[in-house]
Amino acid sequence: MPARNAKQWDKIPGKIESGEYVDSRIYSDRNIFEEEISKIFKKVWTPVCHESELSEPYSFRTMTVAREPVMVVRGADNQIRAFLNVCPHRGNMIENRPSGSFEQGSPSGAPKHMTCMFHAWQFDMKGNCVHISRGSEGYQDRLACSDVGLRRLRCEVKYGGFVWVTLNDAIDQTVEEWAGGAFDCMEKSLNSEPLEVFHYHKAIIPCNYKLWHDTNSEFYHDYLHYHNRITGFNDSYFARKNIGFDNGHVNVGSFEVQYDQYEGFESREELSFPHLPNNHWEMIDFFPGVNFNLRGSALRCDIMTPLGPDKVMIEFRGLGLKSDTPEERLIRQRHHNSIWGPFGRNLHEDLLAVTTQQATMSEFADKRRILHGRHELDADGDPTIHDEEGMRHFYDAWGRWMDRWPGDPELSFEEGQKREAA
Amino acid sequence: MSESMNKQVAISNVIYKASLFLDEHRWDDWLNLCHEDFYYAIKAFSPEINYDMIYMDGNREDMRSITDMLPKHNSDNSPLARHTVVYTVEMDESQDTATAVSSFAVYKTELDGINSHALAGESNIFLVGKYRDKFGFENGEPRFIERVVQLDTRRLDKGSHFPI
Ligand code: FES
Ligand SMILES: [Fe+2]
Repeated sequence: MPARNAKQWDKIPGKIESGEYVDSRIYSDRNIFEEEISKIFKKVWTPVCHESELSEPYSFRTMTVAREPVMVVRGADNQIRAFLNVCPHRGNMIENRPSGSFEQGSPSGAPKHMTCMFHAWQFDMKGNCVHISRGSEGYQDRLACSDVGLRRLRCEVKYGGFVWVTLNDAIDQTVEEWAGGAFDCMEKSLNSEPLEVFHYHKAIIPCNYKLWHDTNSEFYHDYLHYHNRITGFNDSYFARKNIGFDNGHVNVGSFEVQYDQYEGFESREELSFPHLPNNHWEMIDFFPGVNFNLRGSALRCDIMTPLGPDKVMIEFRGLGLKSDTPEERLIRQRHHNSIWGPFGRNLHEDLLAVTTQQATMSEFADKRRILHGRHELDADGDPTIHDEEGMRHFYDAWGRWMDRWPGDPELSFEEGQKREAA
Repeated sequence: MSESMNKQVAISNVIYKASLFLDEHRWDDWLNLCHEDFYYAIKAFSPEINYDMIYMDGNREDMRSITDMLPKHNSDNSPLARHTVVYTVEMDESQDTATAVSSFAVYKTELDGINSHALAGESNIFLVGKYRDKFGFENGEPRFIERVVQLDTRRLDKGSHFPI
């Protein structure tokens, strides 16, 4: 067909069906974005850091979850706990550093305490308030330490030492139940011995968080990457399967990467993860905005913090084994960074593509359809790596959480389903 | 001028030359300033994970293969301009090797990275850090034996395919 006029452009192309595309407004509409924060991000479990980032008693990390400042602290008892990083007095942020230790006192307060610098209220590692400055003078018997503990958050350390947090006290699932089996493919590798983070950097890019998740979920974009064009396309590559799990999570299964096809990239056979066959690759796209990518010698984890409809922060971590020798660590770092580092071959291409993709979907731009309609099955009828089942599975879960139909977000999920059936 | 002073001036010059060659994508000219045992690394310390990180490293051949592959990659081709200031050049006792510390800021002038209609032509600071260089001499000319790009910047956004 020649280039289309406005009316033709507006029509559903070919025999693409409802459920095989989404409406571009889900990537740009501010109201939808705010709804995602309240209906999804405030409700689910999300990993916020790794336990190796707070390895000693009294060490901490700070972050934000769905706009709420959060602090993760290791107590004297070695337990990791999470709190809102908000002072119960006048709402100051209690700890401003990204990481550190409460072992030493701060200018306003005593050692082994969290102290709000503003008026020096102090808290212990369990979140109890233990000191209100001139408390009885100002509050008499109207307010005591026992009234103003920190807001604790549900927190679990799970799957290779990641620290998971939820703002939702009422959540009726553990992290494991929420994962719904999505970690089965790599749990043994992650849990066989302690892991350690060796890489961290962040990107704040002008793109909706879902576009990054989509890109992590679809492998059809092999064409974007020189590395994949050279190493990827072989029978075992196409035999990789997309498997959907409850709650919108997806796995992309294992295959052997042909590193020797790519100049400058030695095989990863020399070093692998425990229980992971050499040169194999497992990936979990975890709903709504996390990715675990275990490839050969290194584990990569992307954690997304949506900042606006067209703005996302992605934190990139690389992990190896805590027991690594310096030589092994160097190999893992090289393997990780040559592809996934900020100066690596693939990450730059991925980040470039999602920002130029978002550039066509600015707020109030004309809506258009984003196609997720590839069905590429293997001999058993299972979706292979270039099938877009991963994205469809995600948007099915997304639509249910949001009660919106991804293909037309003005419809409720049920209305969309009815239209699909019709 | 003493021989030592001459060598120090020559080293400053070669650092500035390297910045120009990198700005202009003259990769071969840049690598010709480097000894055959050249080692290149981009490093940063992360207070988030409390760890000295290596974001990228390689020898001269690795760097050559990276620059040779550039046309096969999809890259943000927005030009990078390095503003480099040589802070110190220190000769070792034998006068055969030297170390130098330079401060740099890398500016990016948008070309094709996002939406060129609105953004092309806009300059922003992309990276700041220090070059920590080691030099030897070949036929009296200074050659890079090592360049460690020590980044302060860790919010790297789209990152880059280009050596810094
Ligand atoms: S705001 Fe924290 S002590 Fe006053
Ligand atoms: Fe990719």
